[in-house]
Amino acid sequence: MKTIINSFLALCFAGALLLACNTDTVEPIGANDRSTVTLEFDNRVGAQKMALGTTTYKNNSGEEFTLTTFNYFISNVALKKADGSVVRFPEQYFLIKQSDPTTWESELKDVPAADYTEISFIIGVDSTRSVSDISARTGVLDPTSYGSDAMYWSWNSGYIFVKMEGTSPVVPLNSAGKRAFEMHIGGYGGRTAVAPNNIRTVTLPLNSTATVRKGIAPTVHLVADFLKVFNGTTTIKLAETNSVHNPALAGPIANNYMKMFVVDHVHND
Amino acid sequence: MMMKLYITLIMLLVIVGCTPKDSAEPEALFETPANFPEPLYDLSKNPITKEGVELGKALFNDPILSRNLTISCAECHSQPSGFTHHGHDVSHGIDNRKGTRNSLPIQNMAWESEFFWDGGVGDLDFVSIAPIENPVEMDENTGNVLEKLRKTQKYPPMFKKAFGKEEITSATFLKALSQFMLTLVSGNSRYDRYVRHEGETLTGDERAGLTIFRQKCASCHTGELFTDRSYRNNGLTIQGAMDEGRHRITANETDRYKFRVPSLRNVAVTGPYMHDGRFYTLETVLDHYAEGVQATPNLDPLLNTNKQRGIALTATEKRQIVAFLKTLTDTSFLTDPRFATP
Repeated sequence: MKTIINSFLALCFAGALLLACNTDTVEPIGANDRSTVTLEFDNRVGAQKMALGTTTYKNNSGEEFTLTTFNYFISNVALKKADGSVVRFPEQYFLIKQSDPTTWESELKDVPAADYTEISFIIGVDSTRSVSDISARTGVLDPTSYGSDAMYWSWNSGYIFVKMEGTSPVVPLNSAGKRAFEMHIGGYGGRTAVAPNNIRTVTLPLNSTATVRKGIAPTVHLVADFLKVFNGTTTIKLAETNSVHNPALAGPIANNYMKMFVVDHVHND
Repeated sequence: MMMKLYITLIMLLVIVGCTPKDSAEPEALFETPANFPEPLYDLSKNPITKEGVELGKALFNDPILSRNLTISCAECHSQPSGFTHHGHDVSHGIDNRKGTRNSLPIQNMAWESEFFWDGGVGDLDFVSIAPIENPVEMDENTGNVLEKLRKTQKYPPMFKKAFGKEEITSATFLKALSQFMLTLVSGNSRYDRYVRHEGETLTGDERAGLTIFRQKCASCHTGELFTDRSYRNNGLTIQGAMDEGRHRITANETDRYKFRVPSLRNVAVTGPYMHDGRFYTLETVLDHYAEGVQATPNLDPLLNTNKQRGIALTATEKRQIVAFLKTLTDTSFLTDPRFATP
C-alpha cells in the first residue's frame, strides 16, 4: 500500500510515466518538498591534494610546477532525475577558490525532492549573464568583489572563467624576475560580434543516486584533477603555453579542463 | 533658438519655486535633440535623477577613484576639449604612465552601443571599471574604490539621496557615473541649429563642406551622430604600439587593425586624432584620407574603390570640409556650467 501511494505522489509531482520506488527505507517524496545539495569541489593534482604555493607537482610532460592560484566559476547546474527529467538552477553561481576553503563546498539551494542520477554544469558564466545589467551582477558575479584576485576583465568586458597561476622552472623569466605562468580563461562568445566562446558544459553520472528529501540534503563529492589541464585532450606544455589572457588562445585549455571533473561519490544524509 | 527658449523657460520654472518632487514638469536633465534618433541606452533601467547626476558628477571629478588619489575621470576627459585630453596623443595616467590609445570624447553616450576604440565594453554601466582598473590610467581596484567611498563623510548621504540607500554597491556607483555621462548631450552646435532651421546660417564654405562631407565621408560618419558605429581599418600606417584594434576583442582575422568609427561632434576641439592620436590637425587627417591611405590588411573597401586608395579631395574641398567640421563645435555644451569640474 505504501509503495502504491509513494508511486502515485511521485507520478503527480514529476508527471512521469514510470517511476519505480526501489526503496522503502528512504523517506517519501512530498510534492513541494525541497532541500539542498552540497557540491563539494575537491581540487587535486593527480593523486595529491592540491596545496597552493609550496608543493611541486609534475605534469605528464615532466614539467615541474607549483600553483599559486586556482579559481573557477561553476554555474547553470542541472540535475537529472532517475526518470530522465532535468531540474535546472540557472540563478545560482559559484566561485571556487583554492585559496578559500569556504568556497570548496557550494550549496545548491531549493532542490526539489527526487532521486537524481546525473549532474551537469557550466565551467564559467553563461553568455546571458555575461552581458546582463550591472544590477544582476551580485554575489560572486559582482565585478567589484574580487579584490586583487580579479575574475573580471574590464577591457574586454567579461568574466575570467578559470584562473590558473603558478611557477615552473621551464617558464622563461618575466620582467619581475619570476618564472611565473598565468592562464586566465574567459570568453563568452561576444555580445554583438562573434568572439571566442570558452564556455564548457560538463555532464557527469553520479554513479549512484542522490536522494533529495525534505530531511535529506545530499553531498555530491566532485574531484577535479588539475593535471587534466595539461593533458585532457591535447597536451599543453608550460614551456610553450605559460601566459594566456586572450580567449582566442584558450580553447584547447578549456577543452582540457572540462575533463578534469569526476563525481567521486554521493552522500545521502 | 526655440530650444534655448525652452530650456530657459524650464529653468525659470524651477527657479520660481517648483521643488523637483512636487514639480509636474520634469527637469531637463536629459533631452534628445530634435534631430537625433532615439537613445540606445535603456533609460528605464537607470532613471536619471538630479541627485543621481550630482553624485555621478562628484565621482567623475574625484581622484578618489584612482589608486593614489591623483587622477580623476575629468583629468583625461575635460569639458573644454569635448571631454578628451586636449593636445595629448595618448594620456598620462597615474604616476605619469602612458597608455597606447587616445582618450575618446564623453558625449552623447546614450547613442553609443559599444565603447572604447575596440568596442570591448558593450554597456555604459561597465565602462567606468576599465579606466579605474587600467594600470596606466587609475590603477585601482573598483572594489577598493567602493570601500574608500564608504569611509567618506560625503558620499553615503549622496548615495542615499540618489538611490534611497546609503549602501554603496557596484550597481549604484556605476549607474551614478552613467547618469552623469548620459547628461553630457551635445546637440546644439551651429550645424544642429542650421539643420533644425533655428535661424542659424552657414557660410558658403561651410555649406559646400557639408555637401562634400555627405558625398565622401558620411558613408562611415553617418547620420546626426556622425558614426555608423562600425569598426573599420582606415588605412593608417601600422606603427608605434602596432595596435590591432577590434581584433583584440573578437580575435577574428577580419577585425585586425579595425577601430571604431568615432563621432565627429566637437571634432575641432577633440584633437589629436585617430586611435593613437597621431594626427594633430584636421588638415592632416584629411591629407591622410586623400593621400596617405595604406594597403594594410582589412583596409576598408570604401577606401579602396576602383583600385584607387583613399578619398579624392582637392585642396579646396579639404578646406571646405574643415570649415564644415568646425560647425560641429557645440560651444554651449563645452561651457555648460552643469558639466564643469567644480
